[in-house]
Amino acid sequence: MLEALAEQIINGLMMGSVYVLVALGMVLVYGVMHVVNFAHGVLFMMGGYVAHFFFARVTGSYVLATLLTMALLAVIGIAIERAIFRPLAGNLRNQVIASLGLILAIENLTIAIWGPNALQLKLPSTETLVTIGPLRFPEHQLLIIAITAVMVVALSLFLKRSRFGTAIRATAQAREAALVVGIPVERVYWSTFAIGTALAALGGALIGPLFLIFPTMGDAPLVKGLAGILLGGMGSVPGAVIGGLSIGVLEAVSTLFLPTDYKDSIAFMAMVVILLLRPQGLFGVRVRGED
Amino acid sequence: MSSRLALIAAVVAITVLYSLPAFAPDPYVLHVLVLACLYVIPAVGLNLMLGYTGLVSLGHMGFAGVGAYVGAILLVDVKHGFWVTLLLATLAAGFAGALVGAICLRFRTHFFMIVTLAFGLLAFSVFNNWDEVTRGAVGFPGIPRPRPIELGGVRYTFGPLPHFYYFVLTAAMLVFALQRLVVRSDFGCTLMAIRQDEKLAQAKGVDVMRYKVAVFALGAALAGLGGLLHVSFLRVAAPASFNLAESINAVLIVVLGGAGSLVGPALGALVFVALPEYLRMTAEWRLVIFGALLVVVTLFAPRGLAGLFHSRNIGVRPGSDTNVK
Repeated sequence: MLEALAEQIINGLMMGSVYVLVALGMVLVYGVMHVVNFAHGVLFMMGGYVAHFFFARVTGSYVLATLLTMALLAVIGIAIERAIFRPLAGNLRNQVIASLGLILAIENLTIAIWGPNALQLKLPSTETLVTIGPLRFPEHQLLIIAITAVMVVALSLFLKRSRFGTAIRATAQAREAALVVGIPVERVYWSTFAIGTALAALGGALIGPLFLIFPTMGDAPLVKGLAGILLGGMGSVPGAVIGGLSIGVLEAVSTLFLPTDYKDSIAFMAMVVILLLRPQGLFGVRVRGED
Repeated sequence: MSSRLALIAAVVAITVLYSLPAFAPDPYVLHVLVLACLYVIPAVGLNLMLGYTGLVSLGHMGFAGVGAYVGAILLVDVKHGFWVTLLLATLAAGFAGALVGAICLRFRTHFFMIVTLAFGLLAFSVFNNWDEVTRGAVGFPGIPRPRPIELGGVRYTFGPLPHFYYFVLTAAMLVFALQRLVVRSDFGCTLMAIRQDEKLAQAKGVDVMRYKVAVFALGAALAGLGGLLHVSFLRVAAPASFNLAESINAVLIVVLGGAGSLVGPALGALVFVALPEYLRMTAEWRLVIFGALLVVVTLFAPRGLAGLFHSRNIGVRPGSDTNVK
């Protein structure tokens, strides 16, 4: 029992790491632009497909393919910000509806290009097993946790220590004041979007080899990333990390007690309970009179 | 468009729609129109929520699923009659709407959208996984069409396509009549007041929560009605008819047609169903184009197709409310 629990916790941390990568992007964008991009899940999915394309057709190096994917998706993120979210700034309802349009367009474009069937990205690291005590895990699983940890630390340092990171935080806190002191707010907007989509793409590229790459692979991470953000508190980066990991562990451990079919429902129920009991999340502070 | 012109247009449209089977008995055309009617009914429900009250629900088709599956169980397992089932399934979806609404509507803006999204996915997960009751992913087969009815010695069957077409067309007409009734009532005016400025409405003494829950329940009930008619037409209830993509399609139909316009859902559903059939597109490309179209509409024509016909501003202007966050 204890072994099974430990195994599920590691599995949960792995899935949780993927949710963290999705959640971080959404939290950053929400922080500075005050909009939830519901199309974040399909950008994650695109990460998987694009990584597969670069890996199978272009380089053959997984690391390089992943970096290229992140770069390409960052550019797509910038394009989306400039063409759609910026013109609709201040109109939340239309921003959300436009993001729904993006979901439809991107998901079905993917089906049109790659077909409805799942793709496989075979890597040796998914088959090499690493032994920890009595348990054995695919190397790739631990790799995902490690890379996410590195990304989280790097992002925190960037936000806290660098000049531009400070500008991002300043814009999140008070847009007008940031403008007054000469922060290039528009550049903050598009770079935040670029960072967010690159992180989502990284998530898709990392999970692809472990499972399959398919058109709706971003739906669950989107909702669980959102659940993680709500748990941690909207707009809080450490909250998104802890929230995402918690959701991952929670649903993995739940499979010990519940049929796996209902694994997905755990996150949804957790979300509603969190919102009812502690709407500001574990670390959230209510900003800008939001409720 | 003046109101007299609108009346003439409505009369012409209704006449054409009802006389269509007599002039063009092409089953393909009727099939497409039946589908449009089936899409329009939940869309009217969403229009009341999204267009008139400003509530963007991302799980609307979950309620259609509630109506469809409650109806399927009552028809097939309990062996109730069709008309009783129609009533009960609609009420069940409305009740589910009131219940879910009471939870979701405690939140506003993003948080409301996120919980409705979660509800939609949860509902789909139940339809898809609760094999003993919903028959799971393979779908719930054997849902009957209504039995023949006799009115003054005339026997009316629902089996043939033109007959079913008249049936769903009439249902859609009644739903549109209901929408007009609601929108023109005091209740509807209060909903629009809430959309335009919720805080002001509250300050004026409107019990905002009660109105929102009421419209959410009404929207859900209409979704449930549409859901049951849909599965009765297809004779099978499949979870995929009530997933996230379908909920997005419902938003698409409302926004494309013109959120907060009486004819909006009809225009939206007609374009959504008929245009790709006309252009003979594959399913993926049609949704790529509609997705892009949805983005374009929010950017350049926030009042949708219906807005294009209005030369001057009559009453509501969705998407232009200043207080919407």
